[in-house]
Amino acid sequence: MEVDRNYRCKVVKPDDFDEFWDGVLSDVNAIDLDPSMEKDDLRSNDEVDVYQVYYNSLDHVRISAWYSVPKGATGKLPAMIQLPGYQSDPPIAREWAAKGYACISVNPRGKVRSRTQFDPGYPGLLTYGIVDKNSYSYRGFYVDAWRAVDFLLSRPEVDGANIGAVGGSQGGGLAITISAMRKEVKAVSISAPYLCGYMDAIELTHAYPFHEINDYLHTHPERREDVENTVAYFDGISFADKIECAVILNVGLQDNVVPPETGYAVFDAIASNNKKFYEYDGHGHDAGRYMHDAIIDKFFEAELKGGN
Amino acid sequence: MYGNKPADFENFWDDVDNDLAGISIAPEVEYIRMRSNNDADLYGVRITSVGPYRLFAYLSIPKGEGPFPAIYYVPKNGSVHEVIPQGTATGIRSRYVTFSVAGRGMRNSDKPYTAMYPGQLTDGLESADTYVYRGIIADALRGLEYLITRPEVDSTRIVAWGNDIAVLAAARRNEITHVVSTPAYLFDPVEHALKTSSYPLAEYSDYLRLYPDRKHDVESILSMYNTRWHAPEVKAETLLRADHSSGIYNPDVLSDLENGIAGNVTVHESERSGFKDGLFAEKWITEKLFGADATAIVPEHWRSAL
Repeated sequence: MEVDRNYRCKVVKPDDFDEFWDGVLSDVNAIDLDPSMEKDDLRSNDEVDVYQVYYNSLDHVRISAWYSVPKGATGKLPAMIQLPGYQSDPPIAREWAAKGYACISVNPRGKVRSRTQFDPGYPGLLTYGIVDKNSYSYRGFYVDAWRAVDFLLSRPEVDGANIGAVGGSQGGGLAITISAMRKEVKAVSISAPYLCGYMDAIELTHAYPFHEINDYLHTHPERREDVENTVAYFDGISFADKIECAVILNVGLQDNVVPPETGYAVFDAIASNNKKFYEYDGHGHDAGRYMHDAIIDKFFEAELKGGN
Repeated sequence: MYGNKPADFENFWDDVDNDLAGISIAPEVEYIRMRSNNDADLYGVRITSVGPYRLFAYLSIPKGEGPFPAIYYVPKNGSVHEVIPQGTATGIRSRYVTFSVAGRGMRNSDKPYTAMYPGQLTDGLESADTYVYRGIIADALRGLEYLITRPEVDSTRIVAWGNDIAVLAAARRNEITHVVSTPAYLFDPVEHALKTSSYPLAEYSDYLRLYPDRKHDVESILSMYNTRWHAPEVKAETLLRADHSSGIYNPDVLSDLENGIAGNVTVHESERSGFKDGLFAEKWITEKLFGADATAIVPEHWRSAL
């Protein structure tokens, strides 16, 4: 199918969007982060020290993460937040540490190592509690990712003025929300962003994970309006007008998981004046990764390390 | 040449088969309404593997008259257990029986053993008998044993789809007629693990960095699983999805595996595009099972390339 680069999604940002998220943030801000950190000798190597990290998030759910720092680094380090895909297991981001960043790779609730208190499963996460914004799975899931900023700010080796966020697919969706809600994020790289234009995506593609919503509505057609109302609070497009930092965003024109049309739509909605879009013809959900990785590296070098 | 095939290789795998033969499959099947649709019905299936260990699987059966060719998604190295792989056109469920087994440790089969990722690949690596992959391979074989009991399955067209386990399953079970395999961690594993810091293969190099004195033992244990030694028993027509020439499991590295497999082998070198690589595999399996004139069922954004 021909990709419509001027595609605009149906989602309408709710009038009380800010009020809703202010309430959520108020709830989580009342919970002590209580971070813990333990060196993982098995995953550390000659270049990078790796730590298993835990911190508290919304509803007192204990969130795990991998934290990687360059071995023997002195002085303050620029930092990176690596955000995970939907069905993949969060990576240990040793490669970011090897490039000189302190990097936290978050395992939001329901992911491996963060699933003892909340575990809707896969398939399941995308529609868990979707009939109401207060019960929807991503209410806590998003906040779990955002709290990675607080963890980084708690670390003496981190330069809090130079924090970036990076992710693809669900990680791209999370990167949108974290750069919208946490002004400490100075630069963001968004690849093949999931969780944008939900109700359009389920018509543009019939592949999992978006297809979970089609399964749900096939079973519960009477709940469509409730679902539409809920996801408007979680749609990346609703967050996009809050993004003011430097942005790069890339899509694959043959993406079989996240329709590229929604990538154009969310990019158009991003408020930042410092934003750049990359499209890769002949590429699917990889979104041209083998070519784009070098662009990401150069982008963060310039934005977080003052490189050219 | 990479070492030698272990002297007790056949006995080791015969013991696995004997363990399986001693345990009833004991299937329990439940309809899953939410994941059923106009094209196919979905069932949750529980079966027993060695241990004994209770496993979960998703079984999708097309509407209409069978039998149908089957795609068996073998257990993988990852926590998430999918109905069909992410990004696959859901329409394939109208054409194939699909069967996806969660090996022990994966979600839905994680009681009592919950695997970590990374972590699973070195669990129990103290000995060949305790290594978790002995059970996981048995799980893959048990899944096939259940699948072929289903009357909806066309026994002349059964595809094993996955990573290295697809090759091992085909080596141990001739009912598998076709293999689609992306080698990732069981072809000459130690040799290649020492060249990369990328997971899952790096799990082995992490382990050997911490326990360097165990290298010989680890090589010995993993040789039981090395697809190099299983290849001659694979009679199925096979697609090997190789890395790009810059990757670990590129076509040159896999040439011994390609040449060792007894059945016809096609090697596809990654074009570093999920779209191009995925389209090649979908077209390959469609042609093999339905003939050159059949059209692959692919996601919306791939269709213009058919």
